[in-house]
Amino acid sequence: MASVAKLEPRMRENFTQSLGMIVALGSWAMMFGALFFVYAGVRTSARVWPPAGLPALPIALPLVNTLVLALSSVMLWIGTNALIRGNRKVLPRYVALSFGFGTLFLVLQVKVWKDLWLSGLMPSTGIYASVFYGLTVLHAVHVFAGLIVLAVIFARSLKGTYTEHNAIRVRVAGMFWHFVDVVWIFMFVALYLL
Amino acid sequence: MKISPRKWLGARRALLPALAGFAVALTTAGLSLAKPQPGTGISLPVDASADGHRIDWLIGVTNAITAVLFVAMTAWIFIAAIKHGEKHTAKYDHGTSKRSMFIALGMAGSVFVVVDGNLFVNSTMDLETVYHNFKEAEKDPNSVLIEVNGHQWAWDFRYAGPDGKFNTKDDIVRLNDMRIPVDTPIVIEVASTDVIHSFNLPNMRTKVDAVPGQINKIWFKAKMTGEFDIGCAQHCGTNHYKMKALLTVLSKEEYAKWAKETSAISERAYDEKDESAHWGWDWKDI
Amino acid sequence: MELQPIHPEPTSFIRKWIFSIDHKVIAKQFLWTGLLFLLFGGTLAMLIRWQWAFPGQSVPALGPVFFKDTGGAITPPTYTSIFTMHGLIMIFWAITPILIGAFGNLTIPLMIGARDMAFPKLNMYSYWAFFISAVLVILSFTSQLGAGNAGWTTYPPLSTNVGSPGWGQTFAGLGIFVTGLSSIMGGINYIVTVIRFRAPGMTWFRLPLTVWGLWLTAILNVLFVPVLGSGALLVTLDRLAGTHFFITGGAVGLKGGDPILFQHLFWIFGHPEVYILILPAWGIVGDVLSFFARKPAFWYKGSVFAMIGVTVLSAVVYGHHMYQTGMAPMLGLAFEILTLAISVPAVLLFVNWLNTIWRGSVRKTVPMLFALGMVFVFGAGGLTGLLLGTISTDIYLHDTMYVVGHFHLTMAAASFLASFCGLYFWFPKMFGRETNPLLGKLHFWGSVIFITTTFTGQLLAGYSGQHRRLYDPFQYDYITHLRDINRWTSYSAFMLFIAQIPFVINFFYSVFAGKKTKENPWDVPTLDWVACSSPPVYHNFDVVPTVVRGPHELGNPEVKKALGKDWISQTEEMPGEDLAHAAAAE
Ligand SMILES: [Cu+2]
Repeated sequence: MASVAKLEPRMRENFTQSLGMIVALGSWAMMFGALFFVYAGVRTSARVWPPAGLPALPIALPLVNTLVLALSSVMLWIGTNALIRGNRKVLPRYVALSFGFGTLFLVLQVKVWKDLWLSGLMPSTGIYASVFYGLTVLHAVHVFAGLIVLAVIFARSLKGTYTEHNAIRVRVAGMFWHFVDVVWIFMFVALYLL
Repeated sequence: MKISPRKWLGARRALLPALAGFAVALTTAGLSLAKPQPGTGISLPVDASADGHRIDWLIGVTNAITAVLFVAMTAWIFIAAIKHGEKHTAKYDHGTSKRSMFIALGMAGSVFVVVDGNLFVNSTMDLETVYHNFKEAEKDPNSVLIEVNGHQWAWDFRYAGPDGKFNTKDDIVRLNDMRIPVDTPIVIEVASTDVIHSFNLPNMRTKVDAVPGQINKIWFKAKMTGEFDIGCAQHCGTNHYKMKALLTVLSKEEYAKWAKETSAISERAYDEKDESAHWGWDWKDI
Repeated sequence: MELQPIHPEPTSFIRKWIFSIDHKVIAKQFLWTGLLFLLFGGTLAMLIRWQWAFPGQSVPALGPVFFKDTGGAITPPTYTSIFTMHGLIMIFWAITPILIGAFGNLTIPLMIGARDMAFPKLNMYSYWAFFISAVLVILSFTSQLGAGNAGWTTYPPLSTNVGSPGWGQTFAGLGIFVTGLSSIMGGINYIVTVIRFRAPGMTWFRLPLTVWGLWLTAILNVLFVPVLGSGALLVTLDRLAGTHFFITGGAVGLKGGDPILFQHLFWIFGHPEVYILILPAWGIVGDVLSFFARKPAFWYKGSVFAMIGVTVLSAVVYGHHMYQTGMAPMLGLAFEILTLAISVPAVLLFVNWLNTIWRGSVRKTVPMLFALGMVFVFGAGGLTGLLLGTISTDIYLHDTMYVVGHFHLTMAAASFLASFCGLYFWFPKMFGRETNPLLGKLHFWGSVIFITTTFTGQLLAGYSGQHRRLYDPFQYDYITHLRDINRWTSYSAFMLFIAQIPFVINFFYSVFAGKKTKENPWDVPTLDWVACSSPPVYHNFDVVPTVVRGPHELGNPEVKKALGKDWISQTEEMPGEDLAHAAAAE
């Protein structure tokens, strides 16, 4: 820690903030890990998947959606990096783009749910539908929470709240958003591909 | 003489009666454990199974060793607190000398090797040779196979009947009434239709959870005839405490007679349309 | 070195006492709430004990008030709610807030030399999330169908609508989820604070054991409470959204979900939870034994590594709770080996405690008595656990009262005694006043004696075959003869409840009218006592102290010769020493 103590106070503060977020995300990862554990348990004990008579999950739309959410993440990353380098002007633009892609993700996700629902897949259909809806809905809740955070950051960035000196606040929020994206990639692979 | 209560509660004079109290409690407990009269007082219930003595022995030996450790620990605490009290000069010792670390590790290590080692070796041997050894039990041509279905708040029992197949017309189906022959391997498959229960045969020293959607297996051999309790050990709702069935161990002849008669009755009472009565499953081999 | 800024002290009543971000105030909030729930959970325990002594008979005093419809008797459905809520409340709303919420908040910043937690606002949210969860658990009792009643383990399908309809169980589940959020927020704070906010010179191996215990607990909380959160969430979905995670169609074949999966989630959390509750207790006791034996903690590093070892192992032994679920034999064997292995660090820690008091100069103060009592009951509890960690003996003992006696000794009684050890020890720090030692000793002897007899009674009943959670145990013929021991155990439990009265008197009297304390009434060397006043000022330390030595420098003859006292504080230098300068330069 000796080296950390030599950092200037702002960097120490940044370090503390990031560390807090990393620990929090570790905790969050365990929560999603538990969900994946349930999914793995269900899959390994099932003889046929999807169970007879139930529709298979689509792949095309979720794949597009994976790209959409990744793009949203990238936008926020570019905006944040610009801010750190001192370019305050572009931040609102990139945050807005990130927010837009995030919203598009939710819209498409709702479409996926709706199609499956109309084809007769309801949570009460059984374990197949339960894990699908359960995992995707819980993830979507996180996306929704992330969108609220992005909206707040957007409003504040318009007001010019953020500078290269307090960019850590955007960066920490960004860590959460990237995390939600990474979880989605795992979810996409587990639910739709495997 | 005036005894200040402050002194009485804190000082060594108070510790001696307390110590005596503990000693009395320990001796009483020890005596009742040392002279077990099965089924009465503080003791393991009557062991009616051929192999239950293995578990009883392991419990007894472990209790004896841990009792010694417990007394040693208690004595240590009291002696340290009384003899090395306020008037004693503390020894300045961080416990980091090689010798003291060796002693500490040695104590931890020897408890592990002796107590845990004994438990592990015996438990594993008993599981291998008896409790998990279903092959040996089912190989016996006389072994009795029973399917048990737990539901709120009763136990259903199903015997394959003369045709040897489960879920057929001649199955013997009983509610809260399990009868078995003595000195014969009894193999039981357990499941549940609603919540999780636990099929407990305390006098046979065996137990397994009844889980919906899953078949669990146990086996045992009774060494004496008589009537014993079957219990549900897992909280399963309001009337969990009433989820009790009766195990009757019969002589081999009596059992054969009972099975024959009951199968005939069951066959007559068989109702094609009563689907809730057809809960049986194909015997699951291991 | 100005590591941490000083914020102005709030002036409004609300900011100062209610929505406070001051760790010391939050500690008190957790303490008061926790003590209230301890009383609540204790009362529920009395009802259970009454039921076991006199099944179905009307309860004196409480019966006419709470069970009017039945003339004061407890009914089977009420009984299931009582034992369920007793377990949940004691674990999540009594011991957790007292041991982790109150002492964690109070001691971590003070002992490591920080002016507050790393995230003071998150700390406030942690308390208020806890408060909301407490409201949820109380709402659970307002359900017509009774409060949560599926056992504290909330195993589905019993905890789904199949076994426990009504909002009682739903609110209990949500309460668990929200209190989990609170624990995680607290945990994040503890972890980061200890990593980032240690005073100059406060190296990892100069941390008091209390801080080590709380820090490791925080890690377990942050990693494993979310697993419980997932489980609680999925059960709630099964209850409210009609999913089938843990509901199976019938007896055979996987038509629906798998209830055993929940047990995995539950115990992946549940076993670490045992250590979550006991690690702070170990830490506190480790320090207090050394302080009042006036001797350094025996092999400090050994104890630290033992605690770390237990923390790591605690994550991989959970399967021993599931030996009877039809677990694959090889998996069971692996869990058995790991479980037995945990006894190595546990015994090492224990031996270190025993060696700490050996050849000491033991001062039988109230905190010390409680610490010794904790060592005693934890030893007894630990020894009785061996038979449960072993598969073959667990076949017979699983789900009997033996299990109940065992985990009450280790987890409940040990953390209970450690809580009071900490409370008496830090009371002068929190309130600036002393407690009455006579009442404290009365409280101690009553507690330790009746804890021993109560839980030994349970062990013996279980050894004789009595199942746990039975409304009327004597339905079974083979245990009707256990009526006497159940009665005696109940009497002993009632005495244990009564033994808490001296504490209540002592606590309230001392908070308001206790004798003003000296700055360092116990003559101990850690920062909480030597570097800040009692009670501390808003920002704890006017100048952040520089640490020059470990936390247990007691009984050193050289110090005695040079300074005339048997201890030297963590910040104090011996004549001629220049350690502070070196530490500051680092
Ligand atoms: Cu049951």
